[in-house]
Amino acid sequence: MKTRFALTFALLLPALPALADDQANAAQTALLAASCANCHGTDGKLAGVIPAIANRPATALENQLMEFKHSDSTRATVMPRIAKGYSDDELKALAQYFSRIGSAQQR
Amino acid sequence: MTKSNFKNQGLNSSRRDLLKLMGAASALPLLGACSSLGGPASKDLSARVVVVGGGFGGATAAKYLKRNAPDLDVTLVEPNKVFYTCPFSNLVLAGMRTMDSISHNYNELRELGVRVVHTTAQDVDPVSRTVSLGDGSSIRYEKLLLSPGIDIRWNAIEGYDQAAAEQAPHAWKAGDQTRLLRRQIEAMDDGGVFVLTAPANPFRCPPGPYERASLVAHYLSQHKPRSKVLILDAKDNFSKQGLFMQGWKDVHGDRIEWVGLSGDGKVVRVDAGKREVETEFGTIHKASVLNVVPPQKAGFIADRAGVTNESGWVPVDPVTFESTQVKDIYVVGDATIAAPMPKSGFAANAQGKVAAAAIIAALEGQRPLEPSWANTCYSLINPEYGISVAAVYRIQEGLIHESSGGVSPSDANATFRKLEADYASGWYSAITQDTWGTRR
Repeated sequence: MKTRFALTFALLLPALPALADDQANAAQTALLAASCANCHGTDGKLAGVIPAIANRPATALENQLMEFKHSDSTRATVMPRIAKGYSDDELKALAQYFSRIGSAQQR
Repeated sequence: MTKSNFKNQGLNSSRRDLLKLMGAASALPLLGACSSLGGPASKDLSARVVVVGGGFGGATAAKYLKRNAPDLDVTLVEPNKVFYTCPFSNLVLAGMRTMDSISHNYNELRELGVRVVHTTAQDVDPVSRTVSLGDGSSIRYEKLLLSPGIDIRWNAIEGYDQAAAEQAPHAWKAGDQTRLLRRQIEAMDDGGVFVLTAPANPFRCPPGPYERASLVAHYLSQHKPRSKVLILDAKDNFSKQGLFMQGWKDVHGDRIEWVGLSGDGKVVRVDAGKREVETEFGTIHKASVLNVVPPQKAGFIADRAGVTNESGWVPVDPVTFESTQVKDIYVVGDATIAAPMPKSGFAANAQGKVAAAAIIAALEGQRPLEPSWANTCYSLINPEYGISVAAVYRIQEGLIHESSGGVSPSDANATFRKLEADYASGWYSAITQDTWGTRR
């Protein structure tokens, strides 16, 4: 049964319109990003002791995430432990995602 | 085990059998839905989704269902109009926060278009897909999401029943129990002993008992300096143990004493009237204030829905958090078996988002998205001294797997500990905003 499922999908996938692909990718990134809200607020917009991450330049977000992942900065607290759980491509996608979300709100 | 437990189990197994039949019967329509992938005909986003439980898991799921699929008909069933969080209730016990500051409501969910019904869910019939409510009405669902939290296993420790909890509070569900324990701590004589009994794993909030001991000790140091805290534990290892013990030594000196399982720390009998406990090997400890954190199980409605197994907790498909026992019922939060994820509010929120996405995908006839979860648990040794454990969880070979994580460094300086204490407050503001939309 499982094999038949996989086969069905393999045959169908190339026929899917690119739009559906984009939508699926967007939904996938949104689900990945949803974890960030637990400390940065819904859509990463909550600014307080923990900074907002919405609407900041993608390169700045990406650089920061890569630094968390690849260097053991002694100043950072939980982010180095968290960033290591994602691939570089996922961190880039997250940086893009939050850079496109509208302005941050003040607490 | 009580009679009623046996009765429930009987009910469960008969429902489980029915389910297997239903599962077999629904294989064909499922294939049909998949083969129409990409066609608009397969979308059913006006379906009715019922969410039971308005805590971290349920309120988050309801919010993200409605945000991501505004046409869905989403109903949240939650008896309380005001929800008090267990996270930060230890700060209330220590006089660092008010009950009001840990209270949340359902206004944002209503604004998003979620129908919020303040009553209890009494029963679930997975055949007719109906939830019976405490007000006598019932509600049908296409998909049901349960976020039942925990129930106490009354009498699992001899003498600890509902009446005993009025004298020796558990305060492991926030609200009146928190107020009661706070009053007892305030009324305690200087020189008294605050005794906390901690259960074996698994239980809600693994670092919770140790943060509570820390913050009660902090309160006592300021108001009743001759008093002590004694933790009697049914296990030998606990969450962030090294950091807690170092923090206790650094901040609280010998005010906190911890007795683990192999030191005869397991409490087997409680006399709430006398505020006495007896351990496995017969030692009697007398308390000035007795706080029993008792053994637990999944919340009542999970039993009624037939989703619990013999452990008392709920096995779920790790990708979707759909019950492995009953189709179309998704379960999130402390009630689930989701190890290595802890039973925490943070994990419940993260699971609520994954289950919401899985429900939307299923209704659209799509495969579920690839899930991922994070968890961060801050604990306070005192208001200036915070410690944390953080992790990311992914699916690996079909199981939930910790892909990264760890605890605060053991050699961190005071600035780092203070920063983590501040981040604990920032985290509380953010997660409660994300879950209920409230600002605290």
